[in-house]
Amino acid sequence: MQTAVIKAIELILAGDRELINILLVTARMSLSSSLIALAVGVPLGLILGAAVFRGRSVFLVINRTLMGMPPVVCGLLFYMLFSGVGPFRHYKLLFTVELMILAQVVLITPIVIGNMENYVSGIAGPVRETAKGLGLSRMTTLRLLMNECAYVICSTYLLAFARAIAEVGAISMVGGAIAWKTNVMTTAIMMYTNRGNFTLGVALGLILMALSLIVNILVTVLQRMISK
Amino acid sequence: MKTNAVSKTYDGRTVLQMPAVDLAADTVHVVLGSNGSGKSTWAKILAGVLAADGGTMPLTEPCRVGYLPQKAYAFRMSMEKNLRIAANDREREDRLLAQLHLTELRKAPANRLSGGESARMALARVLMKPFDLLILDEPSAAMDMESTMLAEKAILDYKKETGAAVLLITHSIRQARRVGDGLFFLKNGMPVETGPCKEHLDAPGTKELKEFLEFYGG
Repeated sequence: MQTAVIKAIELILAGDRELINILLVTARMSLSSSLIALAVGVPLGLILGAAVFRGRSVFLVINRTLMGMPPVVCGLLFYMLFSGVGPFRHYKLLFTVELMILAQVVLITPIVIGNMENYVSGIAGPVRETAKGLGLSRMTTLRLLMNECAYVICSTYLLAFARAIAEVGAISMVGGAIAWKTNVMTTAIMMYTNRGNFTLGVALGLILMALSLIVNILVTVLQRMISK
Repeated sequence: MKTNAVSKTYDGRTVLQMPAVDLAADTVHVVLGSNGSGKSTWAKILAGVLAADGGTMPLTEPCRVGYLPQKAYAFRMSMEKNLRIAANDREREDRLLAQLHLTELRKAPANRLSGGESARMALARVLMKPFDLLILDEPSAAMDMESTMLAEKAILDYKKETGAAVLLITHSIRQARRVGDGLFFLKNGMPVETGPCKEHLDAPGTKELKEFLEFYGG
């Protein structure tokens, strides 16, 4: 373990070009996919949590099912759609970071929707009743509801980012873990472990944890600022 | 102000069957009754947060209706900003905060107040705006005696100032005696006894109200 920590520090200090590439691909993939999932999932979660409409429970069941979708199933689906015999082969996206991001968005968005829906459904009734009692317009009520969600959006983002940065199943299938192109921290750890290079695997794991810690600290600081 | 006859049925069970009534302005109408008697259902229908059976309009003519629900929401912002959601009237805001002993807490986050403080804040917020009909659903349920007295004074001042008809739902017979002008005593979703509050509480005309007063120590 001590060797791995020293190795991790050495790798960072030496500015290893391959490591930097892996870090950049990881950051691009996890930040893009978690932010897109947040942009899509937050409004949908708000609607599902606050609105009363026919078929709402059907949407809820579908979303809860998608929340539990195994990443390899998602990866397989995208592989089939974008491979040489798939209907989307012309886009030539297989083994690209773009398709890895797309697969991640499909995996993470239901989690964002579910988390938002769960929170919003708990407060929407009291917020609506209180706002109506004060004679506020629908737009003002919606603005107040969104304002109430600011805090939970931060924690939802952390959840989405954690899922994105830790993902391995789907992205290794659609990205192929190609060195200098689609290799990310998790797939690199797998690769080095398979080669028997445990020290490098653990070193990468430590850097991955450090990255996750930095994002968590930043979002927690933002959350504290919002709560004030 | 006149209300229409309204009813509410859940899964075939009628929980409210209220005839048309006249809610006089500049009057505190106390609504008494046990749990499940239909008090809150009637309040919600009058406030427009719950639809009556058949979509009946609760009031005969449009008017400004204010409503303080039993569990009013404290928005995640300071207490003074919560009050400004209702109306941006600094003079009124200062007066209400002082009257309800909340001035020192005006900058405090509303979602971190105690139950009693939060209840006073919610009352102050709804009193920020002039309404023709103000419905208060157990506004002092979470308050201690001192806060209850402050709340009652604020409600009476509001009535005097705005000339609003106030519909006050309470379980406290003492509170009904202190502030009530008119009385609606409900049982099983229907009014059993209505009329001048103090007269009916002193000499109940029905067995139901008599039993209620005995049970609740009136």
